[in-house]
Amino acid sequence: MVIVLMLVFIGPIVWFVLLAIRPTATAFTMPPVLVFEPTWDAIRYTFLDPGNNRPQLFNSVIIAAGAVLLNLPFSFPAAYALSRYKIRGRKNIMLWYLGLLMAPPVAFLIPYSILASSVGLKGTYFSMILICQTLTIPFSVWLMRSFIDEVPVEIEEAARVDGASTAAIMLRIVLPLVRPGIIVTSMFAFVFSWNNAAFPLVLANRSTTTLPVGTLQYFGTAGVTWGFIAVAAVAAMIPPMLIFLALDRYVVRGLTFGSVKG
Amino acid sequence: MPNYVPWLLISPSIILLLTLIAFPLLFALKNSFYFWNLQMGPTPMGFVGFDNYKMALQGGFFLGALWNTVLMTVVGTAVEFMLGLMIALLLARQLKGMNVARALLIMPTTIAPIVVGFLFRYMYDPGGGLIPWLLTSVGIPIPAQGLLGSSSTALWAVLFADIWQWTPFFAIVLYAGLLSIPDDIIEAARLDRTPPLAMLWHIKMPLIKKTALIVVMLRFMQLFNTFDLIVVLTKGGPGASTRTLGYTLYQAGLVDFNIGLSSAMTWMMVIIVNAIIGLFVFFAFRDWD
Amino acid sequence: MANFANFTPTRRGLLKGGTALAGAAALGGMPRVASAQEKTLRVLLAGDPFYYAIEGLKDEFTKETGIKLEIEAISLEALQARLTSSFVSNEPDADVISVDQMWLGQYLGSKWIKPLDDFIKADKDMDFSDFIPEVLYSMNTWRGQVGTLPVASYAQMVFYRKDLMESKGIKIPEDGSWTWDEYAEIIKQVNGADFDSQKIVGTVLAGQQPAPIVHMYTQLQASKGARWFKAFPAAPTWDFEPTIDSPENLDALKAFVDLYKYAPPESINYNWFDAGMRFAKGDIGMFYWWTAYSYLCKKDGYMSGKDSVVADKMGIVPLPKQPGKDQVVSLGGHSLGIAGNTQKPDESWQFIKWATSAKTQKAMGLFNKFGFQFSDFGRKSLYSDPDLLKIYPYLPGQLVALQSGNGKIVRPPAPVYTTLEGIYGLNLNNALSGAMSPEDCLKQTSSYFTNILKGNFLIPFSQPSFDDTLDATKALIKSLS
Repeated sequence: MVIVLMLVFIGPIVWFVLLAIRPTATAFTMPPVLVFEPTWDAIRYTFLDPGNNRPQLFNSVIIAAGAVLLNLPFSFPAAYALSRYKIRGRKNIMLWYLGLLMAPPVAFLIPYSILASSVGLKGTYFSMILICQTLTIPFSVWLMRSFIDEVPVEIEEAARVDGASTAAIMLRIVLPLVRPGIIVTSMFAFVFSWNNAAFPLVLANRSTTTLPVGTLQYFGTAGVTWGFIAVAAVAAMIPPMLIFLALDRYVVRGLTFGSVKG
Repeated sequence: MPNYVPWLLISPSIILLLTLIAFPLLFALKNSFYFWNLQMGPTPMGFVGFDNYKMALQGGFFLGALWNTVLMTVVGTAVEFMLGLMIALLLARQLKGMNVARALLIMPTTIAPIVVGFLFRYMYDPGGGLIPWLLTSVGIPIPAQGLLGSSSTALWAVLFADIWQWTPFFAIVLYAGLLSIPDDIIEAARLDRTPPLAMLWHIKMPLIKKTALIVVMLRFMQLFNTFDLIVVLTKGGPGASTRTLGYTLYQAGLVDFNIGLSSAMTWMMVIIVNAIIGLFVFFAFRDWD
Repeated sequence: MANFANFTPTRRGLLKGGTALAGAAALGGMPRVASAQEKTLRVLLAGDPFYYAIEGLKDEFTKETGIKLEIEAISLEALQARLTSSFVSNEPDADVISVDQMWLGQYLGSKWIKPLDDFIKADKDMDFSDFIPEVLYSMNTWRGQVGTLPVASYAQMVFYRKDLMESKGIKIPEDGSWTWDEYAEIIKQVNGADFDSQKIVGTVLAGQQPAPIVHMYTQLQASKGARWFKAFPAAPTWDFEPTIDSPENLDALKAFVDLYKYAPPESINYNWFDAGMRFAKGDIGMFYWWTAYSYLCKKDGYMSGKDSVVADKMGIVPLPKQPGKDQVVSLGGHSLGIAGNTQKPDESWQFIKWATSAKTQKAMGLFNKFGFQFSDFGRKSLYSDPDLLKIYPYLPGQLVALQSGNGKIVRPPAPVYTTLEGIYGLNLNNALSGAMSPEDCLKQTSSYFTNILKGNFLIPFSQPSFDDTLDATKALIKSLS
């Protein structure tokens, strides 16, 4: 069973990675050619000479990392408040965050480019980092809240008796305790921002465009350079995968959305 | 006096999100009543009332796309949920090597949809793709036009790519839910000799219901907006068989440059999705705190 | 900014909302990367073969002019989306951009690109009269202005397997003296033949909607005498009444659907290169397509540098004709324009002049990083260049095809062309798959066309017309040279 699972879900990824180093002649031969002499031409072209995808990799890192950094100061306090205070309409606020994700991103592209340019931010990293927040904050508030829910209130009450302010409690006591939550939230914020192609497609310019968009440049009308696409796409795949593999132990703990209080 | 502290904490995120969401929505609302086609001129060319809405409904493109979208969304979410639950139960059996398998399993979910599109376009290729070859080698006939070329299979082929990408997400989330069920509840049920299916249905499912509902809603909304997969895989074809609302919107706005028409479609879509979510929330989240 | 005059309320509201953003920006202090270097030119291109050659030769330009190039290539759809967002927001995205001939009117009319007439006039050493008039007419002129210059010019021709036809004793005329009926007959004849240890399929189509199928079908349509509109663009008064639902077009569509019976079934979903690369695999008898496939089919993959199985077995000849009709060949390709909002119009012009010059175009043809992959010249002189003829022996025939071309008839650049193409492509695709009869396809297309054209105030047409003829373009060339 496990093997079948791996073949189905990991097999295609491996197959695609192989495309990146495959000689073109064997890319579409069936039965599949499993043994071939790897060619590094595609990697050389995309990342070294002329290497158009190299700066895109850098841009992707800046934007995704920026989105993670900007995400926390907005979503952590909100999640804290929604976890700790019995405010009126709490459920509706929580659902409102989630409902934001229903907005069709395509419809937002032209308005966003007008918005970004009217405040002088068109084509900047910052504009894309900012707009990624529409994807990251709603998800983060939900995730983070479930982590904060699990921190016993008693700890805070003890601190409050000692005269600590809300800000101090939030930042000095709760924040360190929900470190796994911060990590897992940041992982998802990173991946959401990294993988978004619609916003950078119209908001970025050459110097700020990202790697997933970079795969599109080899999809011409006269031909598709599958090797180049594969290299760019694989390069776009690797960082999120590495992050998820490295921080795997946090993933499972984080994704319950506060279902069962344990 | 109401406690202002929680609002102080929540409001920055709400203000930011409102700014970012309200502008495009208001922009679309206003322009849905104007004739503004970039092919005809750079600026809006006059108020046309509900003409854009009428145009969107004429010819059946919008309704056809709505049907495709609903079909894809409902089937996709259901299949992903069911397969995900099965995998989650398998993972929960803690077999040997399962930890590594679980860590790897999430990989498809971390890939950009655009890349998933390319990946499947490569694998579906009728002239030497892996999937047609596998299917025909085990004796499953595939349409002569290819999986993406036949109107009877194209939508499912697109959906399969989405299912491939997101089933692991469901699996991991549901698995996380199952793990967080306290052992004593399971132990107690086991002592009562509860049969496995009843255990799942009456003991475990109610406990992870909230988690399940949230991922279902999340995926439902993402699937409803699908367009990047379609842009790479089929461009809405063959015929109109894979035109979803998201793609139709993309076509109207970024291919045909009819900002007025695409704005009207945006609002129709927003209303439809809100109605669906409203129903969902009303029935599924009623008993929440 | 004036563009947005009737927009003020929204924009004011937005600016208010935007203060939060502006404040955040000040805190973030992000520098504006875009305008960092002075002597750098940003070029945004479609990722077709010409891009690979220009990218490879860009240092030459820098050596000649001292201007550095930042070239970005993206897919045609992405390009259009990017450019539109940049124009709508009035923010320069690139200095030089690829402009499809179908967008030319839209871009010039909206002042998104600058007319080139004055630049051409001022530049006596660019040998403007060397450009093929049919190319400039089809791709680069609108309402008597030159908006762009061609960097890659395609016509359509027939490609066939020489060895297959020889073995069957079929002679295909080199001079275009054959008919579409004969073309279809030959395809039927070779379909299913066992040859070269594979089963031959008669032909291949590009059936994907919207653009590929329209590009392929309209060639047959135009050849058979069917037109899109009553009077456009070569008419003193334009009339956009659709003439899609004509007997000539029905005849053409039936012939097209018939061809599909002798094509791979999966070609219903083929786009440009799917069709071309299928021929390169060797199991296709004959097909007609853009001339770029003369060299693309010689390789086993796009920019792979390795020869395909048909590399030395391709015959390339002019298209068949319809008896009693004038031949009209489809013209297309890629052109360069100067973005209306650029701050470096002169440098931009220098680049366009360089990229479309005989010297650079020849160097592009001789560029050999992936094998020789460029023969889409817009200049007459290069078609008799001995160095190029050695590599691309089919050039004389290609020149004949270009010179019988009229892109404005085959795919008329009406103001809402993309929308019409979307509808037409969808219905043609349905006709091919059998979901719609040819009659219904044309009837429905025609009625949708009418709706769209009325909805966009093109029927009746009340704006000024422009009698857009080839002769007018020839006169324009003369006056600018």
